[in-house]
Amino acid sequence: METIKAVFDYTLREHIRHKVWLSGALFGLVLLTGGLVASALAQEERVRMLLDLGLAAIETIGLVSVVFLTVHLILQEIESRAVFLILTHPIRRSHYLLGRFLGTLAAVGAGMAAMGLVHWALVRLLGGAGDGSYLLAWSCSFGKVAVMGALSLLLSLTLTSEAAAMAFAVFLWVLGHFTAEMRFLAERSGNPLTRAALTAISHAVPDFAHFNARDAWHAGDLSVGWAAAAALYVLGYCAACLALSVQVFEQKEF
Amino acid sequence: MRPTRALAAAACAAALALAADVPMSALARSFPPLSELPRTPLIFQDVAFASAGLRAAGADLAWVQMLQYAADGLDVFPGDSGYDHIKELSQRVTRLDPSFHRAYLYAAGILGWFHGVDRPNEALDILLEARRLDPGQKLYGLYIAGLAYKKKGDSERMVALLDSAYDDPQTSSIMRTILANIHQERGEYDKALAIWEDILEHDRDKTEHGRARVQIPKLEKLIRERASKRQ
Amino acid sequence: MPGPADAASAVVFRGAGKVYRRSHLGRVTETVGLAGLNLEIRRGEVFGLLGLNGSGKTTAIKLLMGLHLPTTGDVSVLGRRVPDVEVLARIGYAPEAAYLNRALTGRENLRLFATLSRIPGAEREARVARMMDRVGLGHAIDKRLAEYSKGMLQRASLAQALIHDPELVIMDEPITGLDPLAIKEVRALILWLKGKGKTVLFASHDISEVEKVCDRIAILSGGRLARAMTQDEWRGKDSLEAAFASSVTRTDGVGEIRLD
Repeated sequence: METIKAVFDYTLREHIRHKVWLSGALFGLVLLTGGLVASALAQEERVRMLLDLGLAAIETIGLVSVVFLTVHLILQEIESRAVFLILTHPIRRSHYLLGRFLGTLAAVGAGMAAMGLVHWALVRLLGGAGDGSYLLAWSCSFGKVAVMGALSLLLSLTLTSEAAAMAFAVFLWVLGHFTAEMRFLAERSGNPLTRAALTAISHAVPDFAHFNARDAWHAGDLSVGWAAAAALYVLGYCAACLALSVQVFEQKEF
Repeated sequence: MRPTRALAAAACAAALALAADVPMSALARSFPPLSELPRTPLIFQDVAFASAGLRAAGADLAWVQMLQYAADGLDVFPGDSGYDHIKELSQRVTRLDPSFHRAYLYAAGILGWFHGVDRPNEALDILLEARRLDPGQKLYGLYIAGLAYKKKGDSERMVALLDSAYDDPQTSSIMRTILANIHQERGEYDKALAIWEDILEHDRDKTEHGRARVQIPKLEKLIRERASKRQ
Repeated sequence: MPGPADAASAVVFRGAGKVYRRSHLGRVTETVGLAGLNLEIRRGEVFGLLGLNGSGKTTAIKLLMGLHLPTTGDVSVLGRRVPDVEVLARIGYAPEAAYLNRALTGRENLRLFATLSRIPGAEREARVARMMDRVGLGHAIDKRLAEYSKGMLQRASLAQALIHDPELVIMDEPITGLDPLAIKEVRALILWLKGKGKTVLFASHDISEVEKVCDRIAILSGGRLARAMTQDEWRGKDSLEAAFASSVTRTDGVGEIRLD
């Protein structure tokens, strides 16, 4: 555990000291301010629009940050050979990978939390979001970011090209919003091969279509059962991606 | 972690994710599929937002564009006159996010009761779709009943129904102004004046404050004239 | 399998070989990094690994650090067959360049390696400060590594190799690019480590330095052990330079300089 914590610490420091993190956070604040201005056009739905645009901005910035950072996370240390020195110390490769991933997630989460606090304060000033649904919506966005981070890490280790890994990550993120459509098509398909392929793909890609508190919260019907299932889903999906990443990383020679 | 252990861990975690996905997808709110999005010149915008998992934000933007259209500020429909496309524009909003009740009610109000529009069948289409997607919202049923009374020519009952929805948070400002105009047409100047004064007092109806400032002196004058005629 | 004799040895290469396979557009190319190396390094000695670029020195070091897996044979370090995570706590490795994370300060960097090397929390900070002083970086301990000069980075790299008081110290080309004063300091360090009973593996192509500090040397050429020599041998009839020149074959595609 100490080795994971040590790697987590240095990863978090590395990201927060990097200009990219600061630029992302500042850009996020700019987007939030833009949302405040744009929401004035929504008349009676100003608070709703401020909420939606702000959370969308926070999620988008979080997503872009996590994909960029995790794709470069290990590949850059391999390229700079800093990974040599780490792995010549008594640390298991799985611990190294986990520490790096959690440190990156913490850095992105810190940025998202800072933006979330500012955003929530703005919304409260306008009289909205007094209940816990904001936290649930933010948590779901963070869960999405965690899943994409784990997936991007796996892609970067498997594909070894940063550009290809980022492109694939974005593609899978978009595809993840169509799982409902894929399952619908699978049900209606007459061809067993097509049905099997669509079903497999719809379960292999992250199921973002059903994991979106942000889009569903105005309806006010998100249950505790759904939230618990969603939390388990994030844990399971991230763990699966990380375990596969360990499998790939263990085989790597430097 | 040895390679075989890593694979076993991945398999267990994947099984957990798949198992959790079953209740998660069963309990999640379902949205209308993308194929039901109206074919407007702005469809790519709608598809882009939906594909990015930003339906609520996309619906908000579509709502702003609908307001701009109603105020004659959106030029995407060549040859459009008046409110030809208000129904499609409202459906952009609601098929991205069916819980955006105000969009249905706003469009139905304009189509059903706005001067010079008078398209109650389209208003009814919108409200029936709204009620199908969200049967719990009582205003849909109320407006449907209001339209039915209007068609029958029973303006007493229609006005009573619309009056009962006046203070509902989902009632749009424009619907309040429509109600004020209906009262004015029926010669109920006191009621019309009370509504305009109420509109002017509340921030929620800020967009109609300009019209309220114009209507209030007119109605005060009409009330004075009537009073002096009676004398 | 490691046998009882391995307990007395620091490092044992037993028929160790490494073949690099690269596949590109369906074609597979194989390069021999190391071929059937049989070599033993005894505890407490300073052992030099000599060879031209591409001779297999770094491959041999990476095999015993677990960064590469042997294609044939096996490698034992301090009685344990590698790759073995636990034995790494007893090895200090200073690579040819300072592969350190420049975003960290000197203190944070060394603290990281001290933690990874399982130095207990209670004594960690004190040992970090002491080690940075010892390598001459006490004044720069809280500066970012990005602000360090090349020489300072080398010292920081050395610090992480020594902070956990390892039994075996591996130095890969430690004097490349150093000034004469720094070279003298590295030499003194190696002899000091030897005086403390440590085993030092020193890979280099600088014959003059190897001569001064090593007890034994091995000359690698084309991934094979060309010759092993003791101190008595190169101080006797055969000079190390002559032995080296006669043992190695150029494999870097560069021909001799012609003087006619």
